[in-house]
Amino acid sequence: MAISEKVLKKRGRKRESQAIWYLFLLPTLLGVVCFMLYPIIESLRLSFFQSNGTIENWVGLRNYERVLSSATFWNAVYNTFYIGFFQILIAIPLGFVVASLINTLKWGQNLFKVLYFLPNVTSIVAAAMIFSFVLHPEMGLLNYLLSSLGLPTTAWLTDPATAKWGVILLAVWHWLGFVIIIFLANLQAISPDQYEAAEIDGASGFQKWLYITIPNMTGTFAFLFITGWIGALQRFSDVFVIGGAGGSPARSLQTMVAFIYERGFGGFEFGIASAATYVLFVIILAFTFLNLKATKLKI
Amino acid sequence: MNTATYKQRILVANIIKFVVLLLFGILMIAPFIWMVSVSFDRMANVQMPFPPKLIPENVSLFNYHIVFENGQILRAYLNSTIVTVSSVVISVSAALMGGYAFSKGTFAGKKILFVAVLATMMIPMEARLIPMYQMFNKVGLLNSFWPLILPSLLYAFGVFLSKQFFDQLPDSLREAAQIDGAGEFKIFFQIFFFLAGPITATLIILSFMSHWNELIWPLVVLTRDTLQTIPLFLASFSLENGTRLAGMTMALAAMSVLPIIIAFLFLQRYIIQSIALSGLKGE
Repeated sequence: MAISEKVLKKRGRKRESQAIWYLFLLPTLLGVVCFMLYPIIESLRLSFFQSNGTIENWVGLRNYERVLSSATFWNAVYNTFYIGFFQILIAIPLGFVVASLINTLKWGQNLFKVLYFLPNVTSIVAAAMIFSFVLHPEMGLLNYLLSSLGLPTTAWLTDPATAKWGVILLAVWHWLGFVIIIFLANLQAISPDQYEAAEIDGASGFQKWLYITIPNMTGTFAFLFITGWIGALQRFSDVFVIGGAGGSPARSLQTMVAFIYERGFGGFEFGIASAATYVLFVIILAFTFLNLKATKLKI
Repeated sequence: MNTATYKQRILVANIIKFVVLLLFGILMIAPFIWMVSVSFDRMANVQMPFPPKLIPENVSLFNYHIVFENGQILRAYLNSTIVTVSSVVISVSAALMGGYAFSKGTFAGKKILFVAVLATMMIPMEARLIPMYQMFNKVGLLNSFWPLILPSLLYAFGVFLSKQFFDQLPDSLREAAQIDGAGEFKIFFQIFFFLAGPITATLIILSFMSHWNELIWPLVVLTRDTLQTIPLFLASFSLENGTRLAGMTMALAAMSVLPIIIAFLFLQRYIIQSIALSGLKGE
């Protein structure tokens, strides 16, 4: 900050050269205006109209009333939060344990980084395709593994009661590599001095993990928690490939974004979809704000 | 404490950790191994092989044959490549220029503009879907690649990362060039752009991964089969066939996954570094 202020003073003499910086920023600012500012304002306007794309009628708050009183919408909200909650609850601690193990390994660190990151480089669409077979109730890989270990099996994606857990498994599998890489990068950034000092005090490996590693990782936990939720609230691709826009079976997989997509581009109810978009938008902002408060992460 | 036994204990601990990680790692990539196995199974479209086998009974290229037959996947590859490469070039150039201006520039409204650009990261694509669709519909650009390419002008996270990068480069570089009478564009393109190699690589990787995998926006603006990108092609195949044609689906999945995995194996150091950079706490 101090440096940029110094530069600012020096530059102050050459006011005429300011304009050139706006040229540098032109592409970005053009993008902000055309593809951010205009769409969010237009979306707000549309949410007060009944619209099929060509004919528009002012309806005031009726779209919001319809969205907020729609059981289908609240079901989509529930599904989105349910899948996100368990994805994050499982993936972050699991990823932390795996990353801690990899970090203390004497050989093979790179091998495991690559191995665990492979699912994450796969597109979520292809991953969902593969998982629709992995989770097949009769011939799938997972139920085969479970039954050969003597564990109970379930119908996964074909039963509304368990379908969300199928998606949670897919989501954890796909996201875990990212979580591990982020943890590893931050684990390696902890100063070795802290560990050396603890060793002199006679701390065991587990004690070091508990009293040095974990406290140093709170920022990383917060980062993953927040990015995880931002991604989870926008969930669409995986549930779309598995259950279509309606989130079959029996809407058990329809997320908020899928609801918007179904109303907007299945039914061409742009007004309703825009109102739902704004509700989603407010939910994301409010929830992210709460998360930031709760985790005390500074951006 | 006896040093030999201490070393032995470390060794044993390492072996145990290694084995645990390896077993869990194999479990993680088991779906890929199974995908490849089923894709080579001649009978998998009729009857999915059960119990799962590593090497199928009737090994054949049949499924790949069908997948390639109508050329759709190759066209999808071509489409995805056109869209992704154009988007990456545009987004990374715009982000580098923007980041440079926010780092080294002095102009009115610098701080507020930077905050505004960062704030756009909070607004997902999904929240702009309908107005963006209508906008491109009005100008008659639906069913073209423009709606996929043009919005990459704004790459807020890239602007942020490159600003941080340029912040680390000394201002003395600029001052020396200014004394020689070089203009701002000349300074940027002849000095800073060449120093920005590492951050450029990171931005290319991150931008490539997000554009290559995008589904919902192409789904909305592309309705013509010949324009489908890879994710769109896979999703429509999957929705049409469900879990009926195991062999073909797996061959298709393999065709989309394996090139990316191979590219990843070659570039893994850079990719992993880039991902890690996106999640490292700033100073």
